[in-house]
Parts: sequence; C-alpha cells; structure tokens
Amino acid sequence: MPTNNKMMKSIFDWFRRRFKKWYQPDPMMQKMLQSLAMTEEHEISCDDVFAVLDQFVEAVLRGENVLLFMPLVRQHLDMCPDCREEYESLLRMLQPAFT
Amino acid sequence: MRDNDTWLRDLRASGEQRDAALADLHALLLRALPQGVSKWLSPENPQFESFIEDTAQETLLRVLDGLDSFEGRSQFTTWAYKIAARVALNELRRRRWRDVSLDRLEEEEANDSAPRQFASSDPSPESVIERGDILQRVQQILAEELTERQRAAMHAIHMQDVPMEEVARRMGTNRNALYKLLHDARLRLKHRLAREGLSPKELLEMFAQE
Repeated sequence: MPTNNKMMKSIFDWFRRRFKKWYQPDPMMQKMLQSLAMTEEHEISCDDVFAVLDQFVEAVLRGENVLLFMPLVRQHLDMCPDCREEYESLLRMLQPAFT
Repeated sequence: MRDNDTWLRDLRASGEQRDAALADLHALLLRALPQGVSKWLSPENPQFESFIEDTAQETLLRVLDGLDSFEGRSQFTTWAYKIAARVALNELRRRRWRDVSLDRLEEEEANDSAPRQFASSDPSPESVIERGDILQRVQQILAEELTERQRAAMHAIHMQDVPMEEVARRMGTNRNALYKLLHDARLRLKHRLAREGLSPKELLEMFAQE
C-alpha cells in the first residue's frame, strides 16, 4: 500500500540519518577505494615513466593513440600525481597554447 | 636549428662549439620554462624570474651529466625540457612543503607498528543496514593490511595533497621506491578484498547509491 511504503521510507530515512556516519565511507576510504579500483596487477614505476615521458608527450602531440601503445604510462599518470604534473608541465612547454 | 646528433656532438665538444650549444639550450629553456611552470608559480611572483634562471642552470648541468642516457627516441630539446620540468616541479614542491609538519611520516621506521589486529567481529545478521556492516569490514581490512606508515603516506597523498616526492623525502626514501611500496600495498588490499568477495568498484557503486 502506498501509505505503508511512505511510512517505511520515512523510517528507513530516519535510520539512514541516524547511522550516517558509519554508513558512508569517510573521504579517506572513498579515495582508497577509488585508487584500488584503478590498481593493476602490473604497474610501471616513476623512473620507468620518466624514461619515456619525452617520447610519450611527442606521441600525444602528434595525436597518436597513446592508450593503445603506451597503456602502462597512461595508467601510471592516472595513479601518480607527481608524474602527472611533470607530464602536464612538459606538454605546456612544448605547446604554449595548451592550458 | 640543430638535429639530435648535432646537439650531442656540440655539447660533447669543447670550447666555443660547446659554449654556443649551451647558450642556445639555455635560451630555449628560458623561453619554454615560464609556460611550463606558470600553473604552479605565478609569473607575478617576485621570485619568478630568478626561479626560471636557476631552473635553467640546474637543467643544463643535468643535461650535460646525462647526455649518455639520451637514446634519441624524441627530439633532444623535448628530452631536455623533460628534465627541466622535473627540476622545476621538485623545487616548487620542496618550497611549498618544507615548513609543513607531517609528523606521522617522519617517525622512525623501527617504530612503524605492525598492522593492527582486530578481534574477529562477524557482521551481525540482524543489522538494520547491510552497508554499515560492509563498511566496517572494509575498515577492518584496511587496518589489518596496512602498516601505520603506509596509512600515513596514503593519507598525506590522498587527503592532504602532499606530493609523492615530499612524502618520500620525509620517509627517507625516494619517489620511485615509494610508488612501488604503495603499489604493493594497494595490490595486497585488492587481493584481500577479492578473497572476501568484495570489489572496489562495486563498493564504490554501492556507497554512491542514495
């Protein structure tokens, strides 16, 4: 019955508000789960990425499909904020219009 | 404009030939670097110009040091800019974070506590909200699988936006080793979750539901 459903919903909502703090992951856990979802069995290191970053950026600027032939670099850039910044900085140096 | 072989030949030469190549590379760096770092250091900053000059100088030293490692898989200048990007950003990271206390990271390795062991607590079947139970299980798994230092490093990186480079420095290691350490930790967590029938993607979707 619609009235019952409504009542159930309001009871459920009350519980949800009441227990919200252990019912929702804290921001840290949220971030952890996001990084776990992106974790691969084999990942390359920051040094590996740095060794090919120049080659990678030139390929990006030529419009090549880097996901296809350098997927490990792309994955590392998604995971590592420092390497991602260096990639972006290099891209900006080579292509001043890039902002 | 030099090609790769000419850059290498001139920079390995001596006297005027080398000086001219260095001066050209210096000029190129002074032109490219401002655009490369302006996102992280405002050109309005009074230290901007000296920062660019210092970075260019340091880059030239590293380029000369590393000539043998250039494999010709890109333009020589792209390779030099790559070095400049790392020199610049590492220095900016150091400046930005040098006075910030990150105590949990700097505790002695010997004090690094083993993963916390929790008494087994089975999710109570009569629990009103299943999500709460799952959340508790995930929290328990995180506590059991990560050492205090790994937790502190992940917290600094994910929640305080501390650069990997700085976290590594405070932990007495380097960025490459830290990345490997965190990858191992992430894999261990992921495998443990899988053994318990949990997948990070499904958990995220579940928690995202209203």
